[in-house]
Amino acid sequence: MQRQDFSDTKLLRLMAAAALAIAAWFVARQWLPEPWRMPGSPALYLAGVAGAALLLVPAAFALAKRGGSSRDPVGWFNAHIVCSSLGAVLIAVHSAGYLRRAPALLLLAILALAALGVWARVRGSRRMAATFASKAPAFAVPDPATRERLKAVISAKRRLLADLDPQAQEGTFSVTLAHWLRAPRLAAAYHRLAREEAAMLGTRRAAGLQQGWWRPVHMALAWIFVAGVAVHVVTVTFFAGYVADGGPINWWHLAAW
Amino acid sequence: MSAAAESRKPGRLALMIDLERCTGCKSCEAACKQEHRLGPGEYRNKVVWASGLEEAGLAFLTLTCQHCERPACLRACPVNPKAIEKDPVTGVVSVVESRCTGCGECVMACPYSAMGYDPREHHAVKCDLCTDRRAQGQTTACASVCPTSAIRFGARDELLGEAAREGRAPLDLDHFLLGPATIYLERLPAQGEPGAATVPSRAAGSSRPAFMDAAASQAVVVESKPAFPYGLPRADATADRVVPGGCNICFNCCTANFHFKGDDLVRITGNEDDPLLQGRVCPKSQLTLQLYHNEHRLRHPLKRAGARGENRFERISWDQALDEIAEKLKRVREAYGPEALAMFIGTRTGTLDNLGYTRLFAQLWGTPNKEGTDPFCASSKSVAYELTQGRIGSGNSYTPGDIGSARLFVYFGDNQAETRPVYFGMVNDWRLRSGAKMVVVDPRLSATAAKADRWLAIRPGTDMALGLALCQHILARNLHDRKFCGDWTLGFQEWRDFILARGYTPEWAEPVTGIAAAEIRRLAEEIAAADGCVIFGSRGINQHTNGTQTNRVLMFLAAITGNWGRRGGAYFNMTAGTPIAPNAPEHRRPKINRQKVRRSPAGWTDAMLHGKPYPLRALIACNNPLAQWPGQAAVRAAFESLDLMVHIELFANETSAYADYVLPAATGIEKGEIGRSNDDRRIVWIDKMIAPPGEAKADGWIWIELGKRFGFDDVLQERYKDTQVFWDEVCIGSELLRGCTQKRLHSVPWRWVRHPVASEDAPEIETLYLEGTTAPGVPAGHRFPTPSGKLEFWTTELEGKFRTIGLSALPEFYSEREQLVDLPYLELEHSDADAGVISPFCRPDTGTSRARIVAGSGDAPGARLRAQGYDTELLTGRPSAAHFHSWTHYFWQSQEMWPDLFCQIHPDKAARLGIADGERVRVETAHGAIEAVAWLHAGIRPSAVFVPIGWGERQPFHPWRSVNFLTDKTQRDPVSDQTNLKVLLCRVARAD
Repeated sequence: MQRQDFSDTKLLRLMAAAALAIAAWFVARQWLPEPWRMPGSPALYLAGVAGAALLLVPAAFALAKRGGSSRDPVGWFNAHIVCSSLGAVLIAVHSAGYLRRAPALLLLAILALAALGVWARVRGSRRMAATFASKAPAFAVPDPATRERLKAVISAKRRLLADLDPQAQEGTFSVTLAHWLRAPRLAAAYHRLAREEAAMLGTRRAAGLQQGWWRPVHMALAWIFVAGVAVHVVTVTFFAGYVADGGPINWWHLAAW
Repeated sequence: MSAAAESRKPGRLALMIDLERCTGCKSCEAACKQEHRLGPGEYRNKVVWASGLEEAGLAFLTLTCQHCERPACLRACPVNPKAIEKDPVTGVVSVVESRCTGCGECVMACPYSAMGYDPREHHAVKCDLCTDRRAQGQTTACASVCPTSAIRFGARDELLGEAAREGRAPLDLDHFLLGPATIYLERLPAQGEPGAATVPSRAAGSSRPAFMDAAASQAVVVESKPAFPYGLPRADATADRVVPGGCNICFNCCTANFHFKGDDLVRITGNEDDPLLQGRVCPKSQLTLQLYHNEHRLRHPLKRAGARGENRFERISWDQALDEIAEKLKRVREAYGPEALAMFIGTRTGTLDNLGYTRLFAQLWGTPNKEGTDPFCASSKSVAYELTQGRIGSGNSYTPGDIGSARLFVYFGDNQAETRPVYFGMVNDWRLRSGAKMVVVDPRLSATAAKADRWLAIRPGTDMALGLALCQHILARNLHDRKFCGDWTLGFQEWRDFILARGYTPEWAEPVTGIAAAEIRRLAEEIAAADGCVIFGSRGINQHTNGTQTNRVLMFLAAITGNWGRRGGAYFNMTAGTPIAPNAPEHRRPKINRQKVRRSPAGWTDAMLHGKPYPLRALIACNNPLAQWPGQAAVRAAFESLDLMVHIELFANETSAYADYVLPAATGIEKGEIGRSNDDRRIVWIDKMIAPPGEAKADGWIWIELGKRFGFDDVLQERYKDTQVFWDEVCIGSELLRGCTQKRLHSVPWRWVRHPVASEDAPEIETLYLEGTTAPGVPAGHRFPTPSGKLEFWTTELEGKFRTIGLSALPEFYSEREQLVDLPYLELEHSDADAGVISPFCRPDTGTSRARIVAGSGDAPGARLRAQGYDTELLTGRPSAAHFHSWTHYFWQSQEMWPDLFCQIHPDKAARLGIADGERVRVETAHGAIEAVAWLHAGIRPSAVFVPIGWGERQPFHPWRSVNFLTDKTQRDPVSDQTNLKVLLCRVARAD
């Protein structure tokens, strides 16, 4: 299958377009009728729903690429870029400029995610490339103590694997979503050992703060965002009165506590 | 299955990398990028250099995927199914690019940092042991080109068996219990003994030179757009035809195959059909792919539109350019005579142009002032060979039966591993197989010295003293080959008496050279005892004011030990020269009324600036004199004063900026030519295969078209624009080349013939001058092509010639003017502005200076400079294999490999000066100053620094001032007019 890369140029253009759209909306909204300035108005409510739906695509990407059934993980990756950019615009529209309320934190998270993603793709990838051959000390004389400790971890992994996935070879195995769903306790234990081994190799540490941690931070922010969206949806659906704070409730809701 | 058990599985493939053979040339990197069309910053393999900081050492590590049994990269990949696969049979770990989302977790996870990343297409890249090549039954790209046979590919078990049979041990690199498949063979133990500087197998406290990986320098390359075919899918760069030819850059003259898809050149590889090189090829040859697809190439004739040096030009047509140049040349001739035209024909322009077209043009025009780069590189050895042997170059060959059969290799000032990497690879391979020893005499531990059994860190400029002491010890102990000396040398007795009488003992040489007397005695005895010793000399010997005499001394050393005219024994100072010397008919050659100003173009600047001894008013330069000529400040002033300056070049450079007209040239496969003058006497033919870029033209075309404007077309004929016709009809007239026809060159798939060959069916001669043979082209019975048929050490005629310039044919020791100790040096009686005397060593009549040897003293120039704080020896020379002069500086990958101008400095000295590795330093001589980046390296004399040639101020990637701002045009050998470029006093400081 031909790999469809999302180039830096495309990414930067998309980001610029999204930023322009958001800026244009914030400038234009003062001249728009009242309903276009209320996050809970039907139009902006729908924008919020659509934005949230689009922003769930990156979460779906994370599951799809780990789920074992995706034929085109790169396509999913590209979709995560496009959908999150469009979603961010719609969420900005939905916010209607109410940036001093708690939900605005979600907007902040989107911006941080986007900035981190763009940095990783445009600048971080060069650092990634420069990693090649940066660990020549690995070719020095081995440390027997490290080897002994590693040996113990690998043995433990092999024992665990016999229960977790008897057909698998430890040398090429890593825990998948299916393992997490089927045997979460064993999967967690194996995952812990794998992390222990990785820590002994010290490769993430060696890569430096930015390169080593941008992705864990990106993923953590993404899940915080998803959680934030969930909280927001529950709040506006079940605690509409609290959200409206005495004002009219124009959006679809189940309870107006 | 355990990792150990897995690693013994049959069918597991691997690379085996021999650290004893690897010279860090980076040819494997070039091959890998070509094979997989990897752009800047993208790697599947990389050669890492490490310098010793505490003790002298230089180590090279070819870093590539280990194809682990437990690949950390694969396990780290979050995609399911994985975007990294491991073949269960071969064990090859590879990336499935179509599934890779570019997260980089695999890059992070590899503890060997052997996982690459494509920063443009955002995905992991890694070595897959050339899946596509393997499918066609080929070896990996890296193994196919390795000049030193350091990389082998095959079944892991078989490779381990080979290593065991060779008595070699693999290194244990499995720190992480990943079960790496790649085998690294450890270095052999050094031959260390007290009293000798030894080469350690691993440098203590070694460190990677910071400048090589500096992020800012690499960013310049990474952000450049890789030219075709880098980055293309395989199908778009798969060749449909292959044309054999060769590389036209350096003296190794690698044979090469040029791969085309339609009319597009998509790849350059070694020629595996070549019985000698067998596909080995250095990185430069491969990197010429970037010469032919290069946005920086000159494409149209240009006329200066601003002040000289301002670099403002307007595009003009060829007709306008040539008409205007011809008109201006005519005016110069009318005003100052034909001798006022100077022609500097560099080697970039090609051997056919250098020795053919321009020679005829100069003869037809009537100027003696035509010269190439020889006086900067090798004229001293050329003169020494002519005087001693009667012809330039060694008669030996790089074959197993000849050079390969030597028992001892001694390198004097020759960094062959970096300057002719394929030849060195062959020599090193032979010596590892035969157990022959290798000794390197060099002020710095070069890549060559790093492979040697012993490294002797000589004081620069004193190789003559070492040679004299070696001879003295051999003669004093009667270790010489008496039969050879008696039968085949002339003047041996006079020379022997002189050496013994002058007291050039090892004890005398010790304080001069810095090498212990015991080591000198040991080396002398080894040379005398070896059943075949090849003594290599090169620029470290040649580029001195005593270059001719030092070469002669080393020649005599080889001769008296019987290492001349035998297999496995030689004095080998680089190229044999290519015997092309066509002449225009006598009646078409105007009488030349004035002597050549000087042999060295460095001696032309007074004539340009001050009109003395007579005016030179026009210059046609086919190289880059504004980086290459010594004493750059004076050269710039001289060029500014010219009435006409024409520059014929591939790339716009410093010289172009000063030219009135810049003419875009063609090169290599764009025009058809032979390779450079070759160490091995091989004439390598390169067909014209593609058109030059834009309106660029072959140099021959330019000279023929210019010649038409003066009516030279009866000699420089239109049909000679076809280089094959020019070769057959004009170039091979001599008995030495007559058999080297196009038909013969094209009759073999490797496209070379070793000269001399007197007829088309004459066999090639592996070793010339063997006992019982007659040298080609001389009277019967003359074993050597001298008038006497013997090697000439001393004759009354020779003595007379030397006396003409104030010296003696008996080589009295002297060194350079600028030294850290008081040594005898040469004082020239005439400046370049004087007519001087006619040199008895040059043709045509050429001016030179008389000279006298002056004893070192507190009043000597060196002492005065030392008093001013010039406390360091400056060495200059070639950088590593990926570079050659300035043209490789326009190739992105050469710049990726070797980005910035560096200054090698001993860590102790750097510490005293507060200089850290990678910091900018200022290097200043009495002649000028430049800046460079510090490279801390304990493998250099603590009193010396080394700065390489080739960088220039107007280069596109990493512009730096040329090292020739530090050199001095007035320090020249009066015999050969060779400039001293190898030792000047300087001072070094951190740049502000």
